[in-house]
Amino acid sequence: MKLFTKYNRINLVATIIIFLFSSAAFYVAIRYILVSQVDDDLRIEQREIETYVKGHNVLPEAISVKDQKIDYHLVSERLKKREFKTVDGFDQEDKEKSSYRVLQFGLNAGDKQYDVTVAKSLEGTDDLADSILLITSTTILLILIVSFLINRFLLRRLWKPFYDALGTVKKFKIDKKQSLNFPSTNIEEFSFMNQILEKATRQAQEDYLLLKEFTENASHEMQTPLAIMRSKLDLLIQGENLSEEQTKTIQSTYQAIEKLARLNQSLLLLAKIENNQFAGTSLVNFKQKIEEKIDSFNELWQNQNIAISQSLKDVSVKMNPELADILLNNLLSNATRHNFSQGSIRIELTDENMKIINSSSQKELDQQRLFSRFYKQPEGKGQNGLGLSIIKQICDVSGFSVCYSFDGKQHFFTISWRN
Amino acid sequence: MIEDEKELSDSICAYLANEQFICERALDFHSAVEKISLYEYACIILDINLPDGNGLEILRELKKGNKLDGVLIISARNSLDDKVFALKAGADDYLTKPFHLPELSARVAAIIRRKSFEGKTQVSLNELTLDLSEKTVHVNDKPVDLTRKEYELLLYFISNKNKVIAKNAIAEHLWGDNMDLADNYDFIYTHIKNLRKKLIQAGAADYIKSIYGMGYKFNS
Repeated sequence: MKLFTKYNRINLVATIIIFLFSSAAFYVAIRYILVSQVDDDLRIEQREIETYVKGHNVLPEAISVKDQKIDYHLVSERLKKREFKTVDGFDQEDKEKSSYRVLQFGLNAGDKQYDVTVAKSLEGTDDLADSILLITSTTILLILIVSFLINRFLLRRLWKPFYDALGTVKKFKIDKKQSLNFPSTNIEEFSFMNQILEKATRQAQEDYLLLKEFTENASHEMQTPLAIMRSKLDLLIQGENLSEEQTKTIQSTYQAIEKLARLNQSLLLLAKIENNQFAGTSLVNFKQKIEEKIDSFNELWQNQNIAISQSLKDVSVKMNPELADILLNNLLSNATRHNFSQGSIRIELTDENMKIINSSSQKELDQQRLFSRFYKQPEGKGQNGLGLSIIKQICDVSGFSVCYSFDGKQHFFTISWRN
Repeated sequence: MIEDEKELSDSICAYLANEQFICERALDFHSAVEKISLYEYACIILDINLPDGNGLEILRELKKGNKLDGVLIISARNSLDDKVFALKAGADDYLTKPFHLPELSARVAAIIRRKSFEGKTQVSLNELTLDLSEKTVHVNDKPVDLTRKEYELLLYFISNKNKVIAKNAIAEHLWGDNMDLADNYDFIYTHIKNLRKKLIQAGAADYIKSIYGMGYKFNS
């Protein structure tokens, strides 16, 4: 719901309620005033009749005019107090129902007692209620129409700079070196917002570049010493007369450097994915990619007698092709490394997901910590524990979800294309 | 050899010198620019990050002068973009640090073959002849049926003949560094065993020696 639809809805409901209340109050107040006026008239009439009776000692002739009727009733015991009441009656002239204000009082004329009834039509006040109702409903209708029109034309124009700014921000890509151009506006709030957005996006871009530079520099600073260590070992083993002891030492050093290089590479990769440096996407044909990977892993699997089976649908997924490559490498390396001789690997690809299923001598992995950095299984010696977090990270930035399950024999990694 | 890190430069030159290459060194941007304008080289090993300039500038300088020197970029940057950028700028190959010296040597040899013996696509060593375009091997003119990995392995050995090559270096050469399985050396052993058997059966000498616990050596 748009902000203004919401605002309007509340506003309209409140306006209408207030209007109905005030109309009702208006009606009650006006009616009260009119009725007391009629009562005053009736009192005057009473006084006139009493004055007449005092002077002539007979009742005056009961003349009924259009809005006023007077009746005399001979009674044995006259009313002691006068009383006012409103009654419904029938108007002979207009042939319609209308209400009357009635004053009853008792008096003595000659030696007889009479009750006198003076009635005055309240037709005017009934008409008043009708007109108030009419005015109220017309006004409410007018408010609805006007607010609809304002919504439709005025508000859309007023909020245009806001939507323009949103559109501009939507096009913002942090890894593209483009400054955002917000359309100028003379509304203070919007131009203030544009200034802030422009500043924030520029700052984000600068930070991003700095971070990227830092990543690259860190990479360089680590890789060069590693390259030196490796090259020195490559030279050292050329020596003719190395003892077995020395050979062993060199081999352990090789392994340690290998591990360090891999760790560095993995950390840099994670940082790069986090910094969104793999932003470019295209449609990656996963069937084709998987078949290529099966080709290159096949020798390895044959060597370990691992049986591979697959059921691949021709599916293309939108993601960064380099990440797709890394994702498959990591998944298949995992499935191979934790497998055993005579084991099996199965790959399934459908429109919904991709499943890598492998046999393993390992027990179920810890669901909670599986994808966290440096998570290591007790048997996973020699691994840096970043492989699965890289898989998770790639899925996150590509809009996929990854989940793991274990059926007692086999480990399932499922990548769902839709999150 | 344009590399600001003296230790690395030392190692590379020491390794290549044994291959009968003459290696000349520049440790900074300016001496590098001076040298390339004065001399012609079969292959220039170029580090991108130099303290006083960008290695890619040197590459551009070379291309502007229509020099035919082969260029192998060595860089710590391993993103695909950087590689594509350098290759588009005219580099012949791109190697990410940290690399193994045998790998570097094999790449340099490949560049030199391509650059200096245009049209020549054969590498011969005693009774062995490798056809680089067909990717086939002949022993005494008789063809030997090798798998792709075995062929690659043989070429790698010949490019590093008489050198001890560590298992790790072989694994990385055969599988690339993406596969993250370099700690599994059984499959290297299988490949080398098969290659050796096939060469000997075809009548070649037994060139490949195992250096215990360390790696292998191709004795010419």
